[in-house]
Amino acid sequence: MDYFAGVDIGSTMTKVVIMGEEEVVISLVRVTTPEQRKLANKVMEEALEKASLSFDEITYVIATGYGRINVAFADKQITEISCHARGVASLIPAVKTIIDIGGQDSKGIKLSGGKVVGFVMNDKCAAGTGRFLEITARALGVKLEEIGELSLTARNPAEISNTCTVFAEQEVINKLAGGVPLNDILAGLHQAIASRIASLVSRLGIEREVMVTGGGAKNVGLVKALESKLDLPVLIPPDPLLTGAIGAALLGRDLVKKAKNEGLPVTKRQRSLEEVKFFA
Amino acid sequence: MAEQKWPEKYPVEGKRGRKYGTVAAMRVAPMVKAAIGGAVEAKAQGKAIAYCFIESNYDEIIRAMDIVPMWTENYAGICGAKRDTQRFLDKADSLGFSRSLCTYATCGLGFDAWREELGSMPPEAPWGGQARPDVMLSSGQIICDPRNKWYQAVQQFMPDVPVYNCAALWPLYEDDIDRREVEPYYVKYLAEDLRGLVRFLEEHLHGKMDWDRLWEVIKLADETTDLHAECRELRKAVPTPMDTGDAMNTMVPQAFMMGTQEAHDFYRDLRDELKYKVERGLGVIPEEKYRLIWPGGLPSWFALMDFNYFWSKGAVFPVESTYNELVYPARELDLPRTDDPLEYMAWRWMRRQTYWWDKARKRPGSEPDVEKLITWIEEYKIDGVVIHEAYSCRSWHVGLLWQVNQLAKIYKPIPVLILKEDRKEVEYRELPSLVLESDMIDISSYSEAETRAKIDAFIETLESIKSRKVEV
Amino acid sequence: MPEDDFRPDGGLSTAEKYYEDYGSRARELKKQGKKIIGYLCSLTPLEIVTAAGFIPFRIKGSVKEPITKADTQMETIVCPLVRSCFDITLKGNYDFLDGIIIPHACDSITRSYSTIRYSLGLPYSHFLNLPHTAKDISLEFFKAELDTFRRSLGNFAGEEVSDESLIRTSRLYNENRAKVRELYELRKSDPPLISGTEITKVLVASMSLPVEESTELLSRVVDEVKQRKGISPVQKLPRIMVIGAQVDDATLIKLIEDSGASVVADSVCVGSRDHFPPTDITPDPLDGIADHYLRRLKCPRTYVEWTEGTYDDYLELRFGHIGSSLRDFKVDAVILYILKYCDPFGFEVPARVKYIESLNIPVLHLEDEYSMASIGRLRTRIQAFLEMITSW
Repeated sequence: MDYFAGVDIGSTMTKVVIMGEEEVVISLVRVTTPEQRKLANKVMEEALEKASLSFDEITYVIATGYGRINVAFADKQITEISCHARGVASLIPAVKTIIDIGGQDSKGIKLSGGKVVGFVMNDKCAAGTGRFLEITARALGVKLEEIGELSLTARNPAEISNTCTVFAEQEVINKLAGGVPLNDILAGLHQAIASRIASLVSRLGIEREVMVTGGGAKNVGLVKALESKLDLPVLIPPDPLLTGAIGAALLGRDLVKKAKNEGLPVTKRQRSLEEVKFFA
Repeated sequence: MAEQKWPEKYPVEGKRGRKYGTVAAMRVAPMVKAAIGGAVEAKAQGKAIAYCFIESNYDEIIRAMDIVPMWTENYAGICGAKRDTQRFLDKADSLGFSRSLCTYATCGLGFDAWREELGSMPPEAPWGGQARPDVMLSSGQIICDPRNKWYQAVQQFMPDVPVYNCAALWPLYEDDIDRREVEPYYVKYLAEDLRGLVRFLEEHLHGKMDWDRLWEVIKLADETTDLHAECRELRKAVPTPMDTGDAMNTMVPQAFMMGTQEAHDFYRDLRDELKYKVERGLGVIPEEKYRLIWPGGLPSWFALMDFNYFWSKGAVFPVESTYNELVYPARELDLPRTDDPLEYMAWRWMRRQTYWWDKARKRPGSEPDVEKLITWIEEYKIDGVVIHEAYSCRSWHVGLLWQVNQLAKIYKPIPVLILKEDRKEVEYRELPSLVLESDMIDISSYSEAETRAKIDAFIETLESIKSRKVEV
Repeated sequence: MPEDDFRPDGGLSTAEKYYEDYGSRARELKKQGKKIIGYLCSLTPLEIVTAAGFIPFRIKGSVKEPITKADTQMETIVCPLVRSCFDITLKGNYDFLDGIIIPHACDSITRSYSTIRYSLGLPYSHFLNLPHTAKDISLEFFKAELDTFRRSLGNFAGEEVSDESLIRTSRLYNENRAKVRELYELRKSDPPLISGTEITKVLVASMSLPVEESTELLSRVVDEVKQRKGISPVQKLPRIMVIGAQVDDATLIKLIEDSGASVVADSVCVGSRDHFPPTDITPDPLDGIADHYLRRLKCPRTYVEWTEGTYDDYLELRFGHIGSSLRDFKVDAVILYILKYCDPFGFEVPARVKYIESLNIPVLHLEDEYSMASIGRLRTRIQAFLEMITSW
């Protein structure tokens, strides 16, 4: 039995998925810490243990995400664009546009026949990413997990003019002090981000079906605001954080299958799952 | 909407920190609104509309041929003032235009692309929207790439609208070049290029230039500029009768209506009003403590209330460089005689652009822009310098830091007493300066709190210098 | 790429030396009593500078050096390349300069003239005013401007710049350009005989040398590279064309090639923009020179007029040179590398992308800041793009 692993090291979360030839055996999500190399190992070890597998039983490992170069035990690195696309295509083949909203970046991916035909990224500016909401929520004294629901109760969404996070922080504090209801401010914030994300992804030409992945997908307020901005319904996968890792594992499976069909050896790295000491 | 009644006589009591308003300034907004709506209506009536850029040396030609100008920078400014730019900027972004580009252009591009998609104005377009043009007149000059490329980019959405790119350039100041040496070939090029513009307009708009009429319009425009220059002169008075906050409105006829009777009468009226105030010592604010200069750069159109904030601290701006770049009386330009109106316009353009050259040459380390500042600092009795860096506009803002630095290097007019060992000595200091940062229409770059804090700190600096200033 | 024929005194290794220690040759020449004049941008007419007896030296920036000194004098909204050039010049990297020439290229370059001039305080400085359009009257104007320039340089040199000398230097630069085109021929094979990384270093090194030395270096490189036996790679690498402005650092090209591609063609200043069009040698040499820099050199800052034909014809008029390269070098995909704050390119991005995609070539548009700090972001995009265009 072949097993395939996908390791997605994002800027905020690290995800590992191990799958067999047909289905996912185990998946894990852990917070990314600064020592990414060690962490990748640790999370992999934990996943293997939970799946009762040894590292040698894994036929192919693909690393993806922001920290993919730090996965010493991976056989190949593939960008999260290709991995998300693969993951989403396996879940719902009808998806043509993916909007991935992460902790520190956001991207749009255009698909045709399950393959990537275009992409856009914003990984420089906090506006349009989870970070923007994180900072403003903190400034408002609200828990990040609650802001989505709260924003939906707004009657009169506030107009937030600053997309620069630093300025936005000040702006929301001023508004709150000025008596604007909290849920209105939150709704305004969600709309501001949705606008930013929508115009970024619009560069690709948005086509249905649209799917949102990443941490942002778990925020109902953001999803609703996006739907409103795009004037289109938006799909959410069952595990929005895992599409990248699932895609990575699937791509590993695809590569091995292709190699077998063509009678070629599978290019693997000399790898072992040891603690990487020299970059401690 | 009820017709606004203008007070019959000034002064008008000011609001929000000022003592006296400027009647003329209050007329501007309705004038602009009428012009924008007028363009839409004119289009519906089949009149010719041209997209235009301000201060490109072709105003009289447009007016003489009865072409209705649509000033795209102005329209973007209006969207900015109404805080309705985001959706247009977002649209431009989605088309692939970087957010770091001139926001006037990206606002305009977003608007136009949207209008073309819909086949009608975008919903709730400010003041009825921007009329679709029949021709577009670019002018990159030597300071503005967006004005060289913007209309070319718009053509992607309106390929049926032809573009003429006007020369309107001038030489940069050099130590080893006398402007009189290069003038002949510059003027020749400018005049020939204007001739090309007339041919282009005649061909595409099927009109014919009436050269006599053009001379009349030029004469009217020159008189208008003379009047405008007089207005600026009157602001030298202490207290100043009008400040930059109002000037950002009163520049409108100069920039958008040059060559019309309306513009002429406007500055005549403004001149009379300012004269009235100067004769009676009527200033902008109750107590004028600090006089500041605005050396260049565009204001934040959505934050003109920042001027009110300055007023509340006792600071006024008797003079600014922005929109005053070409306002020099014709008699001071020593223009050669010619029968050719286009050649006349070319000479006038050259002389306006090189107005400060000769004076700059007399002071080591000086340059025309810096020389202008020094002259005005002295003539308007200025205490400090304020510049606004608009992040999306390289054209008008890159070089401001240099100007202010160079000014500080070569011009130190403020005598202060300092303690040296056991005795007091007079040392000359440069004027204090303040740098504000945001954009001219993109409000997401602006922080009111931060801006106000910076202004507060600057006022403190001004106060401290004032208290240490000595009479020599 | 076969690097086993890397000889210590070979053309490639010499180029590497001049690339790494940029300006070292100019420094040597200065010690020998030559006068070096720095310039920004491809629009500087080198024929005139060389004819006047000076050695033109192209100022480049440094992606590794964080910009510090420049910020006190120049706004940060200026093109990051121009800022970097200014910054390292202030820091003394080019302290052998006797003068500086700046053409009316773009706002960032033009607006920085005063700042650069006054802070460096060099004996000679000049601003060359190119018109934005290339109409006949513009050409006439530009010719007069070139004459003003030639006289100004002549004054500084203490000797008039003669027509004969201009004809001579026009020929020298044509030879140089022809040599570069010969080198580019070696990129047409699959795989190319010279990598994009190598050729970038050669071209950058070359722009710091006097023209005859540059031609000589290029000749040596051509000979060396011709002798390489093409090694067939394990898999076919996508053939990439890079389009942009002054790509004066090999880091980007290396990143593309390390990610699994070959950079085989370009439309960048130090590459085809400078070298593909030759100058017409005219009886009055200024005619040919004016025509070269205003019409033949394809730069977005020069406004191309649309006088006839459809909009697609207009795009062909503006970007046909790209189409030619795409065909001649059998390009698979384009990377459009534009710096943030670049107006001339920025306004044209949608039109360029439209044109290239109409030829069924995928385009990756990168907006960057000219610094090593953004490498990670670039890597992801480039890698994702290559993944996208390669079949699994």
